[in-house]
Amino acid sequence: MKRIGLIYIALLLAVSASGVERTILLGPKTIGRAWKDNIVLEPRHFMDAHAGDIVTVYNDNAKRTAQGAFQNPKTWQGVAPEYGYFGINGPFRMVLTEDILAIAREHGVAIGGHDYRIIQVTLSDAADYQETMVWNGPSVVMKDDWSANAEIPASSLASLRVGDGLRLHVSKVKAGAAAKLMDFTWNVIDPSVDGVPVGENGYTWYIYDDAPLLKLALAGTGGNVAMRIGGTGYKLDGIGIVRQVGEVSEDYSQAQRAPKEYVLQPGELFHGEKVYPLDWSGYMKLTAAPFQESTENDVLVISYTIDPQAKAAGITPQMSFRSPKTWGELTGAAEPIPYLLDGTDVVYMFDAVALDEVKTRGLVLAGVGFTLTKIELISAQ
Amino acid sequence: MKQQFLVKSLLFAALILSASSCKAVEPENPQPQPVTYTLCNANATAEVQQLWAVLTSQFEKKAMSGVVANIDWNTREAENVYQWTGRYPALNVFDFINIHASRDVNKQGWLDYSDLTPVIDWFNAGGVVGCMWHWQVPANNGTNWTCSPGTEKEQTSFDASKVNDPSSDEYKRMVKDIDQVAGYLKKMQKLGIPVIWRPLHEAAGNTYDFKGGKAWFWWGAQGAEVYKQLWRFMYDRMVNYHKLNNLIWVWTSQVGDDIWYPGDDVVDVVGRDNYYALQYPLMKEYKALKEMYPNKLITLAECGNGDDVDMSLWSKIWEEGSRWSWFMPWYDYNYNNGTSDEHQFAGKQWWLDAFGTGLVIDRTEMQKLLAK
Repeated sequence: MKRIGLIYIALLLAVSASGVERTILLGPKTIGRAWKDNIVLEPRHFMDAHAGDIVTVYNDNAKRTAQGAFQNPKTWQGVAPEYGYFGINGPFRMVLTEDILAIAREHGVAIGGHDYRIIQVTLSDAADYQETMVWNGPSVVMKDDWSANAEIPASSLASLRVGDGLRLHVSKVKAGAAAKLMDFTWNVIDPSVDGVPVGENGYTWYIYDDAPLLKLALAGTGGNVAMRIGGTGYKLDGIGIVRQVGEVSEDYSQAQRAPKEYVLQPGELFHGEKVYPLDWSGYMKLTAAPFQESTENDVLVISYTIDPQAKAAGITPQMSFRSPKTWGELTGAAEPIPYLLDGTDVVYMFDAVALDEVKTRGLVLAGVGFTLTKIELISAQ
Repeated sequence: MKQQFLVKSLLFAALILSASSCKAVEPENPQPQPVTYTLCNANATAEVQQLWAVLTSQFEKKAMSGVVANIDWNTREAENVYQWTGRYPALNVFDFINIHASRDVNKQGWLDYSDLTPVIDWFNAGGVVGCMWHWQVPANNGTNWTCSPGTEKEQTSFDASKVNDPSSDEYKRMVKDIDQVAGYLKKMQKLGIPVIWRPLHEAAGNTYDFKGGKAWFWWGAQGAEVYKQLWRFMYDRMVNYHKLNNLIWVWTSQVGDDIWYPGDDVVDVVGRDNYYALQYPLMKEYKALKEMYPNKLITLAECGNGDDVDMSLWSKIWEEGSRWSWFMPWYDYNYNNGTSDEHQFAGKQWWLDAFGTGLVIDRTEMQKLLAK
């Protein structure tokens, strides 16, 4: 019994040393085209986090040209230069720094980009990932003209496996720094690492299929050059292989839920939940595309639920229809015409001016104190 | 005061008389006068005149199909269209964007504009040749090349107003670059190749789209007057100095930017670049340009799916009332290098629809029209 107890304690210590990967957001959340979509991870997830901890975004349906981003929801800039945009070829990650944590605790972190779908987002302790340095220079300065490169021998990369990350350790990072990871034939080893932004914390490329490893293997073994790392605006000092060793928690009780997604039915321009907060910051832009063949017989039917806190705040829930160009009233009237909300659907009829504007530029639905649930375009005929 | 009143009274009376006399001779159903579309260069080559005759005769009846090179000096996009539809577009537009990297001026260069093979092959196959110019100049960091104005390292402070200062470095750069491009165009002229030439495009940028809008290329950054001087400088250098008579000059409007228009005497065609290419706004823009420039062909010089919307099908665009002389969807680098499965700007279905209208001229039909 005593021996079994000792083994049990040893196992417990091992688990606690490597930590647990916790789910902080459950999708799905579709990140569509043209950088239009995002979801903000709430600040509460980061209150107990530490620098070095890692956010992982598991995703699917990524187009080959898909890009991800971790952004400051206040400025919509990347939380660090290397997170402004990057290619997606599997789950993607962000290592928290003190600077990023300061943003995350105040505003949260927005996950954006285009052409993929978020399935789940997790937060792991730094200890969940172990790194082994495999190349320590000599350092190479990446010149402005992208002409320099570091030659990495096959022996340094021999232990690299699918699922591992290749971390670039860098210094002297300039604005606009970028890295290009190539195979020994000077071709980019994966489309996702062709000119990726490099920040003060370097860059980590996670490998999710065999193709890059096969390219590395073609170079042979030992001292043969297997990979060339180039780019501009930074000094490459070292390379480490990062491997995940932690446990995964199946406790989703603290996870944030993405708004429910609906498949649009014919005539629906929006179906979901879009909050119009009490600070008047809510709006939704509709393009002119669905209105191309509209006539004055068409109407918009808008469904919503009223924010129960609006009344206590002394705010009358309302919406208005605006021009995307001027944000003025869609009909061209001098002042926006408010539609006061009582819980019943709003039916909006187009006059000639409004019809011309929606067919030319679309519209903006502005308002306060409600949650938009559906917009339908219906022909009155 | 009295004298002023008398003058005003006389003017008013003259106006009434003139209005009533006009009304008296006005026919009940006035017929629109046929428009004569004239080339601005009276010395245009026979080949240009032949192409011009086809373009003007087809204007508002059919549209010429066009594509742009994959970045610079090739017919890659035309091959895409052929693979999708079994037909080649009539027009292939090449871009002098990388002349600084042309091997005839730069031994480290990665392409060679002095080797006209892609142009000659296209022309010999019956295609119409177009050229445009994303005119890159040295960036502020001294290593990059760019068209983007500004003070950031990778932008350029290149000052187009120096076109009036022959002692300036900018002037010398402009002359040198124009002369380099003129050299390639001259070679085409010697081979009998007419060129639809579209330089200095989109000069006004988004100046008129919203408050705070501005030019996004350096050639527009100093405003309309400087831009027009630059256009006329280029025209003079190419036409009068280099005797380039094989060009059809296309100016690109941003709509609502008439003060940027260089003038009827130096422009043959007015183009519009639009990536919010929906049928209704396109129709409005076409009509606005037609009204503003009634003696010019009007063309959709660039188009394609945009960030916000997919381009309307050509059948819808035509049905809505647009009568662009030609169209040219933009290239997709990712599609062409195999890293994307779908064309970002105009894919197979769009092209099948376009040719399916029977109102779009492909390369084979253009060859027949030119042979007449």
